[in-house]
Amino acid sequence: MRVRFWGVRGSLPVPGASTERYGGNTSCVEITSAAGTRIIIDGGTGIRRLGKELMRTEFESGQGRAHILVSHTHWDHIQGLPFFAPFYREGNHLFVYARQRDDQNLRSVFAAQADAPFFPVSFDRTRAAVAFRELHDGVKFEIEDVQVATTRLNHPHVATAYAIAADGAQVAYIADTAPFSDILFGQEFLSGPPSAHTKLGRTDKAKLKAMAAAVVRLCEGADLVIYDTMYTAEEYRQFPHFGHSRPSDAITVCREAGAKTLALFHHAPDRSDAEVDTMLEAARGQARATAKKLEIVAAFEGLDFSLGKV
Amino acid sequence: MDVTFWGVRGSIPSPGPATVRYGGNTSCVSVRLADGEIIIIDCGTGARNLGRSLLASGFGKGKGSATVLLSHAHWDHIQGFPFFGPFYVPGNRFTVVGGSHSSELLERVLERQMAAQFFPVQSYRNMGAQLEMRAASEDREVRVGTARITAHPNPHGPTQALAYRIEADGKTLVYASDVGYDKGGPPEETVAVYRGADLLIHDCTFTPEDQAQRITRGLSSLADAVEAALRAQVKRLALFHYDQDYSDHDVDELVLRGRRLLDERGAQPIEILGAAEGLTVRL
Repeated sequence: MRVRFWGVRGSLPVPGASTERYGGNTSCVEITSAAGTRIIIDGGTGIRRLGKELMRTEFESGQGRAHILVSHTHWDHIQGLPFFAPFYREGNHLFVYARQRDDQNLRSVFAAQADAPFFPVSFDRTRAAVAFRELHDGVKFEIEDVQVATTRLNHPHVATAYAIAADGAQVAYIADTAPFSDILFGQEFLSGPPSAHTKLGRTDKAKLKAMAAAVVRLCEGADLVIYDTMYTAEEYRQFPHFGHSRPSDAITVCREAGAKTLALFHHAPDRSDAEVDTMLEAARGQARATAKKLEIVAAFEGLDFSLGKV
Repeated sequence: MDVTFWGVRGSIPSPGPATVRYGGNTSCVSVRLADGEIIIIDCGTGARNLGRSLLASGFGKGKGSATVLLSHAHWDHIQGFPFFGPFYVPGNRFTVVGGSHSSELLERVLERQMAAQFFPVQSYRNMGAQLEMRAASEDREVRVGTARITAHPNPHGPTQALAYRIEADGKTLVYASDVGYDKGGPPEETVAVYRGADLLIHDCTFTPEDQAQRITRGLSSLADAVEAALRAQVKRLALFHYDQDYSDHDVDELVLRGRRLLDERGAQPIEILGAAEGLTVRL
């Protein structure tokens, strides 16, 4: 299988000279199995260029099929979708997967993005056949020759982690998530870090522990773990209520899961290329002490991996 | 009057080495008047960097105030709104002016962007600063300190986008992004809004050739921008809202070609420039 990064940034796209090397586009990762099954995780602005590239393949003649797995519907994970060219070519089949919500069906969440007054082309005018599949927490399913496993993450309004297995290789995508220690995220708005009065109860602690264990299971033996490591330790102390992790959290999960490579991902918008370099060095230093066999990279646009049979 | 560009791109931000010089952020312009008043036009992703710069001043301490003018609510003109730092500092005060028929409608549009399924802050009311929404109407001027601001609806495909004329400090700035004129070019009442501007910031999404090949969504070509500048006899034309696929080199070409077009029409005195992130034009 091949894994390719098209957008590695969190929150919002950040063009400019200081993000040129790692890239300023928001989250999008492409996974293609040896048999040619196309999977895309998240539709941040990175998906626009992926779409342009796909239009040079069978998608151009309306014979393409791709499966878009959405971790959650915060803007930085869906804002590129209206600019994904294969949607506008008749004959293409696109399958969109995301967690089921109580209040709204998935199609209407995505359609809202393309509604007036926000966008000139309404979702009804996409030419491709678009099918939605709503996922329950923890569901496992198959897409052609690819096995997909999921688990719930700890993020405001809840996000879904995916593990993709094919060709004797496995990739896990863990974004966005906070560590499983200080806050149990749900639907409510948190205006600041937890205070002494809002200490976690026993039930919440148990839920977080179970969530963490499920994430480790999902990453078990993975060749590559792509992990939301938006924050440094200092930033996490200031903003634990925003729902993102530190490299040390990702290293812990990878160590417990026996994963081979960790890709730091979902870089903060303010993080310059030089600062990502520094973060990567620090993470490697940490891993030398605690997870000797773990390789660590910082994801950048264009980074690709060939794993298992290709 | 100092006019600074923070985002000059249309449709969607386009990060990457090919756009570093002009910039890849979507539309945002700031205006600083002689009396210190600040006017912000559109809140594309460029608003994030503007916010960072303002936080270094009184806005960082909750002592700032500014007026935000929105041309319309397409994503590339509002997607920086949730990432504008000064909105999160209690004490700051903003008036947000937009083209909805009522302040309630404008509020609802902005709230939809902040909704929980899309953004963790869930409502602009959770941001901290005081935001007052105000619908712009054609026949009523907006006053900001000594500045007089008028809004004019331009056709923008199936919808409209407001052009703003700002008169202050004895100078005139016109912002006209996202406009698709009918075949005859800008009509007389539009030309009257642009007339004599010291700086006209005009939609220049495409070359005329590219425009002819795209589905019409109400955007201008270089030829449209030049025609508007000529008819309104403006002093300076800033090309703006470039297509997301145009490289720095492509924009250089647009500016050179615009110069030639103006010269051919005998309009040597009209200056032309390509709007670029970080550029300040003093009027």
